[in-house]
Amino acid sequence: MPGSFLLPLLLGLPLLGAILVMCTPKEEATLHRGIGLTFTIATFLVSLAMFRFYNPRPDAAAFQLVFDTEWIPGLGAHFKTGVDGISLFLVILTTLLMPITLLGTGKSIEKHVREFIAAILVLETGMLGAFVALDIFLFYVMWEVMLIPMYLLIGIWGGQRRLYASIKFVIYTMVGSLLMLVAIFYVYVQYGKTTGQYTTDLEKLMTVALTYKAQVYCFGAFALAFLIKVPLFPLHTWLPDAHVEAPTAGSVILAGVMLKFGVYGLYRFAMPLFPHGAQVWAPLIAILAVVGIIYGALVAFAQDDVKKLIAYSSVSHMGFCVLGLFALTAYGVSGSVYAMLSHGLTTGGLFLGVGFLYDRRHTRRLAEYGGVWKKMPIFAGLYLIIVMGSAGLPALSGFIGEFLTIFGTFNAQDTFPQAAPHFLPYPRLLGALAATGVILGAIYLLYMFQKVFFGKLDKEKNGGLKDLNARELTTFIPIVILIFVLGLFPRPILAVMEPATQKFLRDFGHRVAEPDGPPHIYGSLPAAVDASAVKADADLNKAIDEANKVKIQLDKVPAPTGGDE
Amino acid sequence: MNFDPAQLGYLVPYLVLAVVGMMLVLAEAFYRGSDRTGLASLATGGSVAAFIASVILYRQVGEGSVSILGDALVADKMSYVLSALFSITTAFTSLMSPAHQREHDWQIGEYYGVMLLSASGMVMLAHAASLVTVFLGIETMSIGVYVMTAMRRRSRRGNEAAMKYFLIGAFATGFLMYGMALLYGAAGTTSLAKMSSALAATNNPGLVIAGGFLLVVAFGFKVAAVPFHMWAPDAYEGAPTPVTAFMAAAVKAAAVAAMLRVFGRALGGDVIPFGALGWASPMVVIAAITITIGNISAVRQDNVKRMLAYSSISHAGVLLVGVSAVGLGSPTAQSSVVYYLIAYTFATLGAFACVAYVGSKGRERLLVDDWAGLGAQHPGAALAMVICLLSFGGIPPTGGFFAKFYVFKSAMEVYNGQLLWLVVVGVVNSAISIYYYLRIVTAMYFREATQPIAPTRSTGLLFVLALCPLIVLELGLMPGWWLKIIGQ
Repeated sequence: MPGSFLLPLLLGLPLLGAILVMCTPKEEATLHRGIGLTFTIATFLVSLAMFRFYNPRPDAAAFQLVFDTEWIPGLGAHFKTGVDGISLFLVILTTLLMPITLLGTGKSIEKHVREFIAAILVLETGMLGAFVALDIFLFYVMWEVMLIPMYLLIGIWGGQRRLYASIKFVIYTMVGSLLMLVAIFYVYVQYGKTTGQYTTDLEKLMTVALTYKAQVYCFGAFALAFLIKVPLFPLHTWLPDAHVEAPTAGSVILAGVMLKFGVYGLYRFAMPLFPHGAQVWAPLIAILAVVGIIYGALVAFAQDDVKKLIAYSSVSHMGFCVLGLFALTAYGVSGSVYAMLSHGLTTGGLFLGVGFLYDRRHTRRLAEYGGVWKKMPIFAGLYLIIVMGSAGLPALSGFIGEFLTIFGTFNAQDTFPQAAPHFLPYPRLLGALAATGVILGAIYLLYMFQKVFFGKLDKEKNGGLKDLNARELTTFIPIVILIFVLGLFPRPILAVMEPATQKFLRDFGHRVAEPDGPPHIYGSLPAAVDASAVKADADLNKAIDEANKVKIQLDKVPAPTGGDE
Repeated sequence: MNFDPAQLGYLVPYLVLAVVGMMLVLAEAFYRGSDRTGLASLATGGSVAAFIASVILYRQVGEGSVSILGDALVADKMSYVLSALFSITTAFTSLMSPAHQREHDWQIGEYYGVMLLSASGMVMLAHAASLVTVFLGIETMSIGVYVMTAMRRRSRRGNEAAMKYFLIGAFATGFLMYGMALLYGAAGTTSLAKMSSALAATNNPGLVIAGGFLLVVAFGFKVAAVPFHMWAPDAYEGAPTPVTAFMAAAVKAAAVAAMLRVFGRALGGDVIPFGALGWASPMVVIAAITITIGNISAVRQDNVKRMLAYSSISHAGVLLVGVSAVGLGSPTAQSSVVYYLIAYTFATLGAFACVAYVGSKGRERLLVDDWAGLGAQHPGAALAMVICLLSFGGIPPTGGFFAKFYVFKSAMEVYNGQLLWLVVVGVVNSAISIYYYLRIVTAMYFREATQPIAPTRSTGLLFVLALCPLIVLELGLMPGWWLKIIGQ
C-alpha cells in the first residue's frame, strides 16, 4: 500500500529521539530540549505527509497506509498499523500538541531534563502506536506503554501530592485495562476455536460474532477500561488529582491526547467487536455521560484551583464525546470526534496558559489573581479566544463538535429505528440536558476568565507580571489559529471523517442485526440452528462431566500389580 | 534395565555440574586466605559449560524424546531448554556471589560446590521421566539449598531461615514420598510416560486421588504456594541475597518443571485431573489463593526482600494456573509455563542483583525507605530494577507481560473455558501487584536520598545487573524467537 512506511516511521522517530537523548551527557539541558523539540517537530512533519497518501474518497479502503508484518508467529500477533479518517486527525492532534507542549514547558522543568524529554518522547510513541494499531495485541502493548511515562511525569516532576496522584492514576488505569485483557483473551480464543486459526488482527477478529451474553460481558470489560480513561462519571476521580499534580506538560498531554483514547477505544475496538454488548450498555453509558456533563460543569464552577477547574471541565466536555458516540448517528459520531479534536486543542491551550501563569506566580488559586489583563494584554486576548473555543462560541472549534453531538443525540433513533427502544432512552431529553452543559460551560469558563483577568489589580505580586515572551507566543499562535480554522471550516475535515463514520455505522447495523448463536463468522449462521446448537453443546458437556464422575468412584480394593523394574 | 554408556552423552550438562560441584567442594580443602573468587570463577565456568552443552544437545536431540537409563530419564527439547535455564541461573548467581561474600563477610568456599550440586539436581528434574528421578532431583536440589541458606553462620536470621526452610522442606518430602508411593500402588509403574494410561485404567481410583492430592501438597510446599508458603518470606529474607535469587529463580523453576512432568504428563489426560476429585480442583483453588494472598501480603511489606518473596509466591500461583492448564489439556500451556519461567527467572535475577548492588559493607539496605533517591544517585541500577519490576508486574514491553499473556491465554483454552474465573483472579491481582512494585519505583525516583548510597562494586554483579533487564526486554519485544525454541 502506498505510504505504508509512514506509520512505522512515525512510531520510530520519537523512540529514536528518546534513545538519542539518553545517550547525551546529563548536564546538557539545552541540548536535551533541542533534541526533544527537533524530534517532535520532525514527527509532526511526517504526520502531515500522511495527507499526501491518504485517500479521503468514500470508495477508498477503510484503513489506509496499512503496514502489516508478522510479529509473534506462535501467537498470530501482527505489527499492523493503519489509519482511517478518524485516527488520522487524532494522530495529527497528537503530533501537533507534543512540540507545543515541549516548547510551552520551556525551562520550568529544571531537574532531570534528559529523563523528562525521554519520557515525553516514549509517551508520544505509545500514544501514536495506540492510535494507529490495527492489531489488538499491539494496541494493548501501546496502551500500557503510555502508562509508565505518564506515571513518571506526574511522580517525578509533579506537585506536592504527586506520589498519591501518580499511584492513583496507575491503579485506576490498570484495573480497567486488565479486565480488558481478559476480554481480549476471550475474543482471541473464541476466534481461534471458530476459525481454527489464531490471530490478534483486529479486522479478522471483527468478523466473528460472539454469543450475546459473552458480548455483554466483554463489552463491559472493554468499556470499563476506556470509560476510566475518558473519564466518565463516576469513574473520573483520578483525573482532578492527576491534573493538579502533573506538571504543565503532563496536564496538556493528559487532557489533550490521552483522554481521547477512551472514546477512540470504544469506537475502534469495543463497539465493532461487541455490537450487541454495546447496544445493551448504551443506555447506561449515555445517561452517565449526561450526568457527567452536568456534574462536571457544576463541580468545575465550585473550584478555586484553576487546574482543577479545567480538569472538571474535561469531565464535562468528554461527556459530550461519549454521548455523541453512543447516539449512533452520523452526526453524533462525527460530532464526537470533532469535539475530541476541539477539546484537545482548547484544553491543551487552557492548561498551557495556566502553566504560564504558574511559572510567573507559583499559585493556581483563582483568589490570587485578578486584573491580570492590564499587565498581560496579549496573553489575555489569546486566552479569551481559547476559553471561548472551549465554551462553544459559534465560529470557534468547540461549537461544531458540541452542536453535532447534541443534534445527533436528538435524532438518535433515526439510524436504527428497528432497535430504537434498546438504544438511547428519551433521546430528546438527553440531548436537551446535554445542551444545558454548554450553557454551564460558558458560565464557569467565563467566571474563571473574569476572576483571573478582570477586576482590580489588587494583589501586589501581580503588579510585576510580564506579558508572553516569544516562546510562549509561538505555542499559543498555532492553537488559536486552529481553533478558528476548526470553527470556520468544518466541512473539509468532516468530509474526510465521513467515510469512516458511515462505515462504522453501517457495520454496526449489520452486526447488531445478527441473531444470537454460538460463536460464528458473521452471516454464516443458518437461521434455525442457533438455539438447538447451543443446547447440543451444553448436553455434550454435561455428558462428559457425567462420564468423568463415573470413572472415579471409590469401589475396588487397592491391588498393586507390580513395577516395571 | 539395560545401560548404554553412549546414552550418557545426553546427560553431559548434568555430569558437568555434578563433577565441577564435587571438584569445588574438594578444592575448598586446599584454599588458604579468605578470598574465594577463584572458586566462583570455576563455578561460573562449570555452569557456563553446562549451559553450552545444553544448547548443543538441544540442537542435536531432534523433535522426539530419547529415554535414558531405562525409563528413568528422558532427553527432549524441553529438558534442554530447562537445563540451559538452570545452568545460566547458576552461572549468574555465582557471578553475583563473590562481591556479596566480601561485603557481608561470609566467605565460604563450599558454597559454590553445594550450589552446583544443587543445580545438578535441577537438571535431573528437567530430565526426570520417573517418580524416582523426580524424588532424587528434588532432594538433591533442596538439600543443597538448605545448606546455602545457612551459609551465613553468624547471622541469626540466616540460621532461623535455614532451620525453618529445612524442617518444612523435610515435612514436604514426607508428603511427596507418600503421594508417590500411592500413585505407584495404583499404577504399578514409576514411569511417568506409562503412568498416564495405567492410572486411567486403574481399578484403585482412591489411590490415584489420594496420591494426586498429596503431590499437590508436596509441590505446593516446594513452590511456596499458599497455604504452604510460610517458610518462604523468612527463608528469602534470611538467606544471603545471591542465595535468595537462586532460590526464587532456579529452585522454583525446577519444582515447576517437575510439576510439568508429573501433573502435565503422568497425571494429565482426559480423566484424572477432572471432576471434583481430580487433582486440578485443589490445584486451581490453591493457585487462586496463592496469587491473591501473595499479592495482598506483599502490599504490606517494607522490606524489599520480603516484598519480592511474597511477589514470588504470587508468581508461583500464576505458574500453578499454567500447570493446571497443562494437565487439563490446553495445547499451548506447557510452552507458556516454560516461557513464564524464563521471563520470571531473568527478572528475578535482575531484581536480586539490584538488591545485592544496593547493600554494601555489612549493611544490606533492605527497607524500601533505604532505596530513596537511588534513581538520582545510580540511574543505571535503578533503571534495571524498574525494568525487572515492570516485568514482574506484567507491563509491556517486558517479558513478564507476554509471559502472563501467554499463560492466561493458554488457561482460557482449557476445555469449555473452565479456568476463565482463574484468569480473572490472576489479572485483577496484577493490578494489585502494580501497587507494591511501583512503591519501589516511587522510592527510587520520586523521593530524595537521606544519605549517599554506597553500592557494592563488582564486575560480575554489574554484568548480571545489566544483562538481565536486556534479556527481559528482548523477551517482551521478540517473543516469537523464544516460542520457536520452546517449541510451540
